[in-house]
Order: sequence, then structure tokens, then C-alpha cells
Amino acid sequence: MAINLSCWKKNIFLCILAGVVWGWVAMAVNNLTGVSPLEMGLAHNLITFSMAGAVFGLVAGGVLTIVEKRLPTRSVVLKAAGVSASIWLLLRSAGVVLSMLQPVRYHVSTPESVQGFALALFLGCILGVLWKRGLSAVTE
Amino acid sequence: MERIIEKGLLVNTLVPALVLFGIAFMMVVIAYGMESVVHGVHDMFHDFRHVIGMPCH
Repeated sequence: MAINLSCWKKNIFLCILAGVVWGWVAMAVNNLTGVSPLEMGLAHNLITFSMAGAVFGLVAGGVLTIVEKRLPTRSVVLKAAGVSASIWLLLRSAGVVLSMLQPVRYHVSTPESVQGFALALFLGCILGVLWKRGLSAVTE
Repeated sequence: MERIIEKGLLVNTLVPALVLFGIAFMMVVIAYGMESVVHGVHDMFHDFRHVIGMPCH
């Protein structure tokens, strides 16, 4: 299956932007909920959450580019949320296997998981909204 | 003509697929804090991993 390279390039910036914003939102949400006390300082976390968020945003956007036309719904936001949540579920499922193999090294926390899943959905929403606006701006 | 098609296939399919695979691998390394792949990644992204609900010690 060939990927539309121009579309791919066009959306890379949107994916990174969505991911970075999502990283900062994740920090803010965690501060509000207090689910996981942060060990590092604000400056360190701003950088690492931005970097990791950009990586997650790029993966979600990349997968969305590939599967967008094959998903049943017409809403890009729903598609992006579905893709983002699926990626999170995949990672989390593998994490469950890892925690069974190495319970001391990989410890599972339910409140963190609930927060993580909600954040994954939120990443999809941000990505979907930016994707929609980016594409509509190009086609106008 | 075959060359053009092959080049187009390479640029449009293989390169983006490899780039996506590489970034997805980075995501896995960050999500699980795989020290054996990148030294220091566990401590660097420790807070992020907890916030997004990935298993950690």
C-alpha cells in the first residue's frame, strides 16, 4: 500500500504539535489528580514530556495516516481517538505481560492506567482537531 | 519507466514505513524504559511513564 507522501509531510508538524501539547496537558492533569507524584523537577519534565509527547503524537499520526480511510467513522477526531487509544491499549497489554514475567521490575497501577487511557483518548482528540483544521486550511 | 515506479514505491512506501517503525520503536523504548537499548532512558522518562499508566517499578 502506497502512502501519500505529501499528506504525510503536511501532517508531521501537526503530529509533533499535538504530542507536545498533550505532554504538557498530561503533566497538568497529573498535578490536578495527584495520581502519580512527580519525582523530577518542572524544567526536566517539561522537556521530557514534550519529547515523549512528540514521539507518541508522531506514531499516532503515522498510524492514522495509514488507516484513516479504512476506519468506518467519518469523524477524524473519533478516528484519531480510536487510533491513539488502540496504541495505548497495545502498549499496556504488553506491559501486563511484562509485569507477569518481572513483577518487581514492572509494577502495574490501576489509577495510573485509568489516567493514561483517558490521556490517550485526549491525545487522539487533540490530534484529530489539529488534523481536521490543518487539512481544511490546505484545501481552502 | 520501471525505475520511476520503483523509485516512487521506495519514496512513498518504504521510507515512511521505516521512519514510522523507527519512531514506534522509540515509543516502546520510552514506554518501558528499556535501559538495554538506551542508557538512562528509564530515569529520564520515569515520571512520563507513570503519568501515562505504563508499568514501572
